Amino acid sequence: MAASNKWVDSFVKAFYIAKKDAKVYYFKAPNFTYGLLMPISLFLAFSIAGQMNSSLIVSGLTSLVILFGTTSIEAVAIVLEKQTGTFERLLAAPVSFFTLLFGKAVAGFFFGLVLATVILIPLSIVSGTVVANPMLVFIAIAFSSLTFSALGVLVSAYAKWVPEAQMLSNFLRFPMAFLAGTFVPLELMPSQLSVVARFLPLTYSVEALRTSMNDSAVTFTYLLDILALALFSFVLLVIAAKVLQKRLE
Amino acid sequence: MDNAIEVSNLTKYYGKLLAVDHVSFEVKSGEVFGFLGPNGAGKTTTLRMLTGLTKPTSGAAAVAGFDILRESTTAKEHIGLVPEVSNLYDEMSAWDNLIFAAQLYGVPKKEREKRTKESLELFGLYERRRDHVGNFSKGMKRRLTIAAALIHKPAIFFLDEPTTGLDVQSSRMIRNLIKELNEGGATIFLTTHYIEEADQLCQRVAIINQGKIVALDNPEKLKATVEEHRIIEVSFSPAQEFTSQLKELRFVSHVSRVGDKLRLYVEDVSEVVPIIIDFARKKRLKVVSINTLKPSLEDAFAKITGLSPEVMATEKEPVKKEGGGSG
Repeated sequence: MAASNKWVDSFVKAFYIAKKDAKVYYFKAPNFTYGLLMPISLFLAFSIAGQMNSSLIVSGLTSLVILFGTTSIEAVAIVLEKQTGTFERLLAAPVSFFTLLFGKAVAGFFFGLVLATVILIPLSIVSGTVVANPMLVFIAIAFSSLTFSALGVLVSAYAKWVPEAQMLSNFLRFPMAFLAGTFVPLELMPSQLSVVARFLPLTYSVEALRTSMNDSAVTFTYLLDILALALFSFVLLVIAAKVLQKRLE
Repeated sequence: MDNAIEVSNLTKYYGKLLAVDHVSFEVKSGEVFGFLGPNGAGKTTTLRMLTGLTKPTSGAAAVAGFDILRESTTAKEHIGLVPEVSNLYDEMSAWDNLIFAAQLYGVPKKEREKRTKESLELFGLYERRRDHVGNFSKGMKRRLTIAAALIHKPAIFFLDEPTTGLDVQSSRMIRNLIKELNEGGATIFLTTHYIEEADQLCQRVAIINQGKIVALDNPEKLKATVEEHRIIEVSFSPAQEFTSQLKELRFVSHVSRVGDKLRLYVEDVSEVVPIIIDFARKKRLKVVSINTLKPSLEDAFAKITGLSPEVMATEKEPVKKEGGGSG
């Protein structure tokens, strides 16, 4: 098989894995409820007293919804499959490790897109926020979904059982939610914390959304944010593949 | 291709536990090859290494001519795997499970529905095609798992304990299917702890114990290794535990219990029969039946491994999913 055909074949198989995951795990009412309710409650609790402007609220909340929505299912999807044995159906198939995990991440990616749309449109209307460039916002949402989905895949690859996966994802999500400029803009944070924030993917998601909501042109900051998110996605998936391979040896 | 599977010094450690110890063998194309051994002998671990589910610690193997480490993805295209426990998606219908299997193995779109329909009809599941697999019985799940392994028409099948825990009817159906697949030219690698199953189905059998292959030949030749022994099967009334006392009798090398009967492995039948009759008279027992038997594969297994065939009748513990194999 020619190299280009192999790539197409891998991409197609990743899509089938994603489609199956979407059907089996994602698009069920309780998942939407959890993906939306948790970040909304968290955000309301901290933002009401903070006198944040509407674009800060919309961008921060959208990023949080994507983070919580994708990781809550992604982080347990592989663990559950390892426990029920269905993961071996995927491992036994002629699919590379990376393709398999990419397929898993794509399912979370689509779920993140849907969740972000569900929260962003009504929130913008209610808050009267004007979105400067909807296409750039969409791109930022897409890259954020892929990154957080890849984060969930990594947690799921590492964890041996569901409670461990849930504990690990909370261990990552909650500090990230407070340190990534979601509730407090980075420029208002102590300098040490703003350095820490630069190592967190949520920071780039919030910043990309905020930038694209305020500026219709493609800015340098926006491009860097998207690049950082793409890099996070790739690195997280590569690490997940290594971790899982090690786990299964 | 003469050999469908070639294995050289395959070894697997789980931590400090040596699960498979420098195993080497070949499986010829079109052969039914049995891997027979008690639970924990290393059968499933060997199968998992050959199907790319776990990495060997050392050694090499090729399936369909492809190295299982360097060309794992290509090798998997030629493999149909039927695990011991169903690994279908309970939340999906039988139809969707087979379609997904076809997609994963690159079955062309036009063929997918046709093959899925044919497979479901072949396994008597077409009427239940829209039902979630979670509602299926164990036998139905096993049939659907086999259907999923067949969907891409592989040349080599790996079946891990295919009839364990199934009712008689389902077991018979699966054994017939294995024969049909083999008649159609497929190579079958079968792990089992049912000695009779290996005897009925396999052209060659490898006996594995404590991670090592202790014998490898066709069933008839394995049976011939115990032909210097003759077997007398005797049943007494009242049935009591006489195993240890019978072992003490002259010319008796081994005694095992099979149901309400006792099997005596003897050097000379004509010498031992009067001794048994005398034993029964002294103990005031009635001899209900007494027969001489030809050695079976079970007898060969007992002699080769030094294990009682009863250990093979013990069902397995639930399969450990991650990492370690179970057999």
